[in-house]
Amino acid sequence: MLLFTVKRLLLLIPVFLAISVVIFMLVHLVPGDPIDSILRVGATPSERAALVARYGLDQPILTQYVTWFGKMVQGDLGDAIILRRPVADLIAMNLPHSLALGSLALLFSTVVGITAGALAAIFRDTWFDRGVMTLILLGSTVPSFWLGLLMIMLFAVTLGWFPVSGARTASALVLPVLTIGLGGVALVARVTRVAMMDIARRDFVMMLHAKGVSRWRIELGSVLRHAMMPVVTILSLRIGWILGGAVAVEFVFARPGLGSLLITSLNQRDYPVVQGCLLMLAIAVMLGTLLGDILQAMMDPRIREGMK
Amino acid sequence: MKPFAMRLLAGALLSSTFLVSGFAAVAQDVTMVLPAREVGAPTYDPIRGTKLNVATTLIYDRMVLQDADQSYHGQLATEWSVTEDGMEWVFKLRPGVTFHDGEPFNAATIAWWVPKFAGTENAFMTEAIASVEIVDDLTVKFTMKNPDPNLLSNMATTFMGVPSPKAYDAMGDSFGVTGAVGTGPFKLESFTVGQETVLVRNDAYTSGSALSENKGPAHIARLTFREIADDSTAFLELKTGGVDMLLSVPADFRKTMQAEAGLTVVTMPGRELFYMPINTIVAPFDDIKVRQAAALAVNQPEILANLYGGIGAVADTFLTDALLEGKVKDELRISYDPDGAKALLDEAGWVAAADGTRSKDGTPMTVKLWTQNGTEFRRITEVIQAQLAAVGITAEITVLDPASINDEYKKKTEHQLAVRSYSYENADILDWFFSAERLGYPNVSMWTDAAAEELRIKAMTGSRTWDERVVNFTAYHEYVLTQFVFAPIYQPVQSYAFTTDALSVPEVIRSTRVQSQTFLDIMVK
Amino acid sequence: MSALWFLWGVARTPRGAVSAVVLVLVIVCALFAPWLAPYEYAIQNLPGANTPPNATHWMGTDEFGRDLMSRIIHGARTSLSVAITAIGISVVAGMTLGAMAGYFGGIFDRVVTAVVDLTWSFPEILIALLLIAIIGTGTESIMIAIAIAYLAQFTRLTRAQVMALRSETYIEATVNLGAGHAHVIFRHLLPNAITPVIVAGMLATGDAIILEATLGFFGLGAQPPTPSWGAMMSSGTAQIFIAPWIILFPGAAIALTVIAINLFGDALIDALDIRNRLREV
Repeated sequence: MLLFTVKRLLLLIPVFLAISVVIFMLVHLVPGDPIDSILRVGATPSERAALVARYGLDQPILTQYVTWFGKMVQGDLGDAIILRRPVADLIAMNLPHSLALGSLALLFSTVVGITAGALAAIFRDTWFDRGVMTLILLGSTVPSFWLGLLMIMLFAVTLGWFPVSGARTASALVLPVLTIGLGGVALVARVTRVAMMDIARRDFVMMLHAKGVSRWRIELGSVLRHAMMPVVTILSLRIGWILGGAVAVEFVFARPGLGSLLITSLNQRDYPVVQGCLLMLAIAVMLGTLLGDILQAMMDPRIREGMK
Repeated sequence: MKPFAMRLLAGALLSSTFLVSGFAAVAQDVTMVLPAREVGAPTYDPIRGTKLNVATTLIYDRMVLQDADQSYHGQLATEWSVTEDGMEWVFKLRPGVTFHDGEPFNAATIAWWVPKFAGTENAFMTEAIASVEIVDDLTVKFTMKNPDPNLLSNMATTFMGVPSPKAYDAMGDSFGVTGAVGTGPFKLESFTVGQETVLVRNDAYTSGSALSENKGPAHIARLTFREIADDSTAFLELKTGGVDMLLSVPADFRKTMQAEAGLTVVTMPGRELFYMPINTIVAPFDDIKVRQAAALAVNQPEILANLYGGIGAVADTFLTDALLEGKVKDELRISYDPDGAKALLDEAGWVAAADGTRSKDGTPMTVKLWTQNGTEFRRITEVIQAQLAAVGITAEITVLDPASINDEYKKKTEHQLAVRSYSYENADILDWFFSAERLGYPNVSMWTDAAAEELRIKAMTGSRTWDERVVNFTAYHEYVLTQFVFAPIYQPVQSYAFTTDALSVPEVIRSTRVQSQTFLDIMVK
Repeated sequence: MSALWFLWGVARTPRGAVSAVVLVLVIVCALFAPWLAPYEYAIQNLPGANTPPNATHWMGTDEFGRDLMSRIIHGARTSLSVAITAIGISVVAGMTLGAMAGYFGGIFDRVVTAVVDLTWSFPEILIALLLIAIIGTGTESIMIAIAIAYLAQFTRLTRAQVMALRSETYIEATVNLGAGHAHVIFRHLLPNAITPVIVAGMLATGDAIILEATLGFFGLGAQPPTPSWGAMMSSGTAQIFIAPWIILFPGAAIALTVIAINLFGDALIDALDIRNRLREV
């Protein structure tokens, strides 16, 4: 198992290199020169040249990349141009909020999604199945900013249970987690339900039934366990999605986070911050994939064998 | 990865202390929401910052403060005098003032501070000062390059807050970002850009000006400013008691808030003005008749009555009503006149078709109308689009991000019409937006005119006294109006709202917008 | 004809019937908006702004006094055309890339797979926002941004289908008989791989409608006065206490359309029995 993990980790190195090149280049495709936005009105060409030199923008692009990559692996993500502070500080300020929101939303969608999906599969084609799945469908087809506003109106304004916005108390996390989580619930529940129904048709399940094992034991003991593979795959691939997909929710709830930082800096053409945010998201995505692979390998030995 | 990992850990600890401290609110804690247009100010460095929020006035004191009636009152300066020719100013400084870091404030501070502006975007603030001389420990003398009757006005702006020289030089680029040291009634405790700023009371403060009842220290012990971009979220925070005060109230919510029990909504004269600059070098607006037609097509009374429920005022010049330089000859005011607009377009050769759209030599009259993202801008722009269509001008709207729109103007090529606003309380805003030295941005109109430049330079550097300056700027303003380089639209009011149970805010605001002088007097109930 | 006959069959299941009615309604609105809308969508009547729903304006008016129902009907045109065009481009491009990757394999396949896997894990909204920052705002930009945001999904799916088919005996036989690559890909592989991709595309159209609305909420996309459901909701949030119907009706329009698309898609999947082949997405 350890060998498997190490191999998968080594495989990530070229991927990481490729990502770093893409992120570095992508940001240089954005039109508009960041120097123009920070240069004072009426500045002389020499002032401009000094600024260009200060941010290293006068170097050949390859040199810029090597310098950037070298510093990056040491944890120095450069200085924000507009926000005038180290990018690492900005990320350190925002990442904990994103992690809290993302992990809780992931937890919520996993627990509720698997429960709902499993129950729907067990009671398949009954009013319960249809009811649960319709409700979940409703939750995932409403745009998240709209759902967020509705949540605020109901739970924060009318009932007064939670704060309207911000990130100052733990209770301020509840509504954003629910808003993001509901989208995930739909996904997890659908995958769980379909996977369980699929497994239930397999021969070994039929055999268990024939042997007279109780239905609940089969459904929860065997079917659900085997159905976890696709669920884990989906969840691990969606970690980056949950971290970064909260943009609209962070906006409505006026919360700090990587998503909102990325959007602000993108609009301000603050290259180093955009690069830093994308890099963090890419790392999260890679770690999520890795985690998913490891979990799958733990559940299914054939995958471990396949690596050899 | 080590330093980064440590920073990350520090961030995590910091945010978990937020979680804990959030529950421990004590009586003298106050939370306010910053005005919408101040959201995202990246720094509390008054010298180099180009976008500063109101908390800056609480961290730093200024030499002088301006009352709502435009009169000046001393804060760090106790008295001042200027020679007849306007070439020498002498300021007496307040004794016994210390910075938050314990450093003394004295004449040496001013001698260090004034030259710091050179080379920054705020350089124009002190450009007229040739040298600063220390007369004695608490007296400074400014020798001028040219008379600048505007000196006091500049000194009263947020940019002229005085930072601690020692801290400023020691912290370098991170001054205003990771820390800020002034002499003001509040000290900076923490600053999370775009999110919140926490200030704590400076218990040693006694420098309150004549504009405050309370000379110090402040009544509020701990003051948190939150930045909320979404108007409805900010309103709901106030409604549910999550915050105690909104420093700006969007026009849409004013009525709803007034109807809300327990909230007090106050409006005061505005300092903002909406207008439509016209790019004078791109056809068809290189023809002054077409520019005039576009300006006359803007129905200001309709916007005032229907978008703002009659609150505020129409704009018919480039300056707000509060400024003396805005009192121009009546015939020069730009007012709605659709028939005049149509006649001018006919004269200029733009012929109307049966459906009302116009064209000239087969070219349809289609122009670009830029605006920035945000409910208020989009709304005014959509109405203006309809108003222009009514005289036969087809305007295509492009919505740009407020952070990048100025970069687009700097390209100097594409734009034609735009809906913009500025918030400023001095006639030299005319110089900022129409000087031929700043084409593209801020001179969005791309206007160069020899006669205008002569009038502008005379107004900027040729006035010895305030009265002379008013006359010169009025003349420049009147000339600008005759050239139709922009169309005036609307002057909003300012308003703020607070929870009646939580705060008592002075009824008379002794400044042109809510600033430090008022904060000293705000009491916690 | 057989495809239409098949769709008719799907539409006769309970799920299919309900969703088909909604979808046909939305599509009719989009196609015939100028004839169906009771008023011009851009005509302002400022004194009549924010009127609640009544006999003359069934859904009330917006902050400019424009008829909300007319704007929703025209908005269907914007939302559907953006979503369908974007997903159409995405499906075509994704099928081409995926088929080539799956068919040729080798280094090309590895590069495509690596890029696709990575972008697939990024939220579509971030990809779209990033692209809009590069290519600028406007309806066309939104379409391109959405198309690229969903590209990974279709590439992945097509590649998986093609990989599975490639090892089938009849394909190998065709290759051995000396058929050209293009012939094999376009005559044999894609026709057999197309059904799941089309269904996935249909489901993605629902997501694309939400994405377009979210971008509209951020003020990107269709420029005023062109109505778009997302932009209508965006300006409606400021009016939420004065005129809640401005945000209510477009929100309901989005939800109904997307639910209908999902239900119909589900019914299709069951009828075609292709759930296993869609597992990859």
